[in-house]
Amino acid sequence: MRDRLDISMRANHVFFAVLMGIGLICVALAVAMNDTFYLRLGTEALILGGLALSVDILLGFGGLLSLGQALYFGIGAYVSALVLREVPSFWLAMAAATGVTLLAGIIGGLIANRVRGVYFALITFGMAQVVAKVVYNTRELGASDGLIGVPVLEIPLGVITVSAGDPLAFFLLTLSVLTILYAAVAYLFTTPFGRVVIALKANEKRVPFLGYNTWGPRMVCYVVAALVAGITGALYPMLRGFVSPELMFFASSGNAVIMVVLGGVGTLIGALYGAVLLTFLKSVVGSYTEHHLIAIGVIFIFAILFMPKGIIGVAKPSLERRLIRFDEQTDAARIKATGERA
Amino acid sequence: MLSIKDLHSHYGLSHVIQGISLEVAAGEILGVFGRNGVGKTTLLKNIAGWVKPSSGSIELNGQAIGGIEPDAINRAGLAIVPEDRRIFPGLTVQENLELGLLGLKGAKPASKLNPVLERFPRLAERAKQSATTLSGGEQQMLSLARIMVAEPRVVLIDEPSEGLAPMIVAEIFAIVREMRDAGCAVVLVEQNIHEALAVCDRFVLIERGAVVFAGAAEDDAARAALLEKLAV
Repeated sequence: MRDRLDISMRANHVFFAVLMGIGLICVALAVAMNDTFYLRLGTEALILGGLALSVDILLGFGGLLSLGQALYFGIGAYVSALVLREVPSFWLAMAAATGVTLLAGIIGGLIANRVRGVYFALITFGMAQVVAKVVYNTRELGASDGLIGVPVLEIPLGVITVSAGDPLAFFLLTLSVLTILYAAVAYLFTTPFGRVVIALKANEKRVPFLGYNTWGPRMVCYVVAALVAGITGALYPMLRGFVSPELMFFASSGNAVIMVVLGGVGTLIGALYGAVLLTFLKSVVGSYTEHHLIAIGVIFIFAILFMPKGIIGVAKPSLERRLIRFDEQTDAARIKATGERA
Repeated sequence: MLSIKDLHSHYGLSHVIQGISLEVAAGEILGVFGRNGVGKTTLLKNIAGWVKPSSGSIELNGQAIGGIEPDAINRAGLAIVPEDRRIFPGLTVQENLELGLLGLKGAKPASKLNPVLERFPRLAERAKQSATTLSGGEQQMLSLARIMVAEPRVVLIDEPSEGLAPMIVAEIFAIVREMRDAGCAVVLVEQNIHEALAVCDRFVLIERGAVVFAGAAEDDAARAALLEKLAV
């Protein structure tokens, strides 16, 4: 008998590989057609995918609905922009964004981790709104205009240097960052710590009776989610050349939740599928009508009603069955070969 | 081992536990009986830290545990098997068992699982399956096995036979006896009085949040009086 959770995680990895494969094929096509628009849109989708991934860490694994996850995405973006305007260093910007987001995540976690359910959602919503309004009204942070003038970066990556102004190179860099984040988070949830988090979501009241202090794992989960949002947020000004307070507004957090629901809650990879789908839909539908949010709303309602487990939730059982069959065939072949040798 | 003195507990204005005192020694099973709603489960919840007592004392090997957090009480050596089993559906059978080890200070080695898996061959066969695929009886066994891996000194068990087939019930009670024989102090809340009396060493009867009758399970007169009071 196969480990169901192992199969589930392997299925996620297959979906990740498929997404990367599709992405790289599209990139090849875009390069062949000398397109930059869709390359940059794809990069934006991946960056927003990081925000959605952070929502899925909380919602899909911790059972905590955050309506303010854009707060950490925005903090990462603003810190990155502030650093880059002074010192155009990719690594310094990423390190500063990570450090400040870590601190913000700990503070936010200490506040939000005191409550559950709808109260958690409201507190996360409130924190993001408060910070967004402060940024919106702070002249030093560009106020409502945001921060503009982030220089085009040269990013040293050991033996090579890539330019943030090169759509292909920056797409591949963003893809690499997302791959590392996805792999790290997926690994985290296969460790004993991950199991405690999964147990917490399943039955938070029971876990203390097995000797666990539940506050710690929830806090770590919250901070990890904040870090993922902050690190991907740090890439945003490198792509766009500016940041604005809207990045922290409820629309950003709400979109991230929609991305996760569309892709499949609790799958990690679903967040990335949802982000790609929603970003491209908004762009395509938005090119025909300014009322594109109506279309997004209809799709969201459709997903809730007919695909509550999201795209991955629909496709995954079939893939899992195939993986189990593949394993059984591999095992049978190995046993047969061993028997013949004996 | 476990000592409770003059315990009082409230749900809001409702005075549920009204001065219960009892003792359970190592290697002993204490049956806690009574009709529905008299406070049996609330008593267990008070001991395990789920509900904070209003007053009175609860001691585990001389250490006061009344009112402290459930995880600290568990680490002090007291485990509870609640009425609704509460397995973790997102985890496999083995991962559910491992959770029983990981929460302890100075986490015990994974090899501690082996004797438990040998004792529960049905769980061993299903170790890699999701816990939700287990039958009701198997889930109850998993719930018991999960606390056994941590080798607690005191175990509270709430209605372990509820909704289970007689054959499974017999197996569950056999496991409870094994816990007692291993030196564990067991507090057993059970509605299935005849089966429970067969495994208990002593019992108490609770009415309106207070102990109104107590006796030894081997004492025929006490057993008869208990059954008469419960009209079973």
